[in-house]
Amino acid sequence: MTRSRILQPLRQSIARPLAQPSRNAFSGSVVARRSMASVDDSAPSEAAKPEEIPPPAALLLQPEFNHLTGKTDEGAVRLPRAVQSLYLQPLRREQTYGVPTCDLQLRSYSVPNLEFFCDFALRAAYYLNLPAFGPVPLPKITERWTVPKSHFIFKKSQENWERITRRRLIQIRDGHPETVQIWLAFLQKHAYYGIGMKANVWEYSKLDVAGQLDGNAKSMQEIVEAKMMQHLGRDKTAGTVQKVQELLESERFRHQ
Amino acid sequence: MSMFRSKKLDIGSFLNIKVIRDHTKRKVFAQYEPERQALRYIIQNTTLPAKTRAEAQLQLTQMHCYTRPTQIRGRCLLGGKGRGIFRDFRLSRYNFRMQALEGNLPGVQKASW
Amino acid sequence: MSVPRARLLELMKAQCEIFATTYNPDGVRMGNKILRQRLRGPTMAKYYPPKGPSLQNLYSEFKQLGLEGINEEWEDWQEHLAGRQQRGKAPPKKKTGPPAPTKGQK
Repeated sequence: MTRSRILQPLRQSIARPLAQPSRNAFSGSVVARRSMASVDDSAPSEAAKPEEIPPPAALLLQPEFNHLTGKTDEGAVRLPRAVQSLYLQPLRREQTYGVPTCDLQLRSYSVPNLEFFCDFALRAAYYLNLPAFGPVPLPKITERWTVPKSHFIFKKSQENWERITRRRLIQIRDGHPETVQIWLAFLQKHAYYGIGMKANVWEYSKLDVAGQLDGNAKSMQEIVEAKMMQHLGRDKTAGTVQKVQELLESERFRHQ
Repeated sequence: MSMFRSKKLDIGSFLNIKVIRDHTKRKVFAQYEPERQALRYIIQNTTLPAKTRAEAQLQLTQMHCYTRPTQIRGRCLLGGKGRGIFRDFRLSRYNFRMQALEGNLPGVQKASW
Repeated sequence: MSVPRARLLELMKAQCEIFATTYNPDGVRMGNKILRQRLRGPTMAKYYPPKGPSLQNLYSEFKQLGLEGINEEWEDWQEHLAGRQQRGKAPPKKKTGPPAPTKGQK
């Protein structure tokens, strides 16, 4: 209940473009700027900077409208583009090949939190030059429990409880694996309360995988050998396998 | 059994001899699980000689009952009750209802459909 | 056009060699399903939450850093025990070693 009330002002400002800059808008701009910074030191790419993409004309040309006085402020200073864009739907990058590289699933019990964080993730993806698709609402997971309200004999009066998990899917296509990792790390750093994240990441390599592996083999040799010594192939049941060998070599079994 | 019990109390939930006992059983099971699995493997492997398998059967039956997973039972974290436990919350039905009414269980709300 | 069984078995053998799996054409029970199972002991043992730090533990940790705190409850209890000691109502000391053999009884 309280969560939705807190988020309401922000939602109103989304619905009404070019409102007075509120506190929410300011905090949002900080986030946006930070994410742009992470672009600069991480992935230099050829796609245009956000400033160069023209925002919708309505947002650009319309001067500030003061709702209190009912007048338009002609001399008012225009908000920065990054801040202006916060009042609109998140911008998206164009995909070139449409090869999925990352599926991010977000889960939460509360819709407002989930939608807010989806929005945040999309904006972060935009500033990292990642073509993001979604959020796709996945089927809800509903769990229900019925408990007797009091003692055993009063079975007739029971109470139902439920927990509904809402899910959203955001897909990244054509992302460089490193950039995708940066995006995921950024989301994890700014994780929002009450939201779980799960990501499936795909990586693609060239046709000559074997050649590459051979090239890497020498440098990886020591690590691989150490791993092989620890557990050969399966790592989860190493305890059992060792124990079997131990038992079969033990006195009790060898006397047979 | 007291020989398996830890010398110092190491759980912070509701305390009760039954809870302590169950916790002890869990720890003992975790400790002896590889051995049990190894014996089970030897028993079920028909390519091994019959004598070895019989020996393994004997050893498995001779293991302490605390090393058996069937001895373990879910218990309520708030009341130590052994019946009517929701696995998702590890609470008995009554404690679950109390906690849900107080709003301590995230996402759980009264349902009507 | 049916493929002879021997040929299929050869294929299976080659497959098993390549992917390092067990070649078992007769379906003999080898108990490998047990080796495939994961160990569930560690998750089972984590059912009950671990004991959190107590006030007394915290103070003993602080003492190493040269800090001191006052645990009023504990001090009150110590005072109460001292009072009992003075009145001669304290519990008897614990015996050490085996009990002395009883003489002439029975």
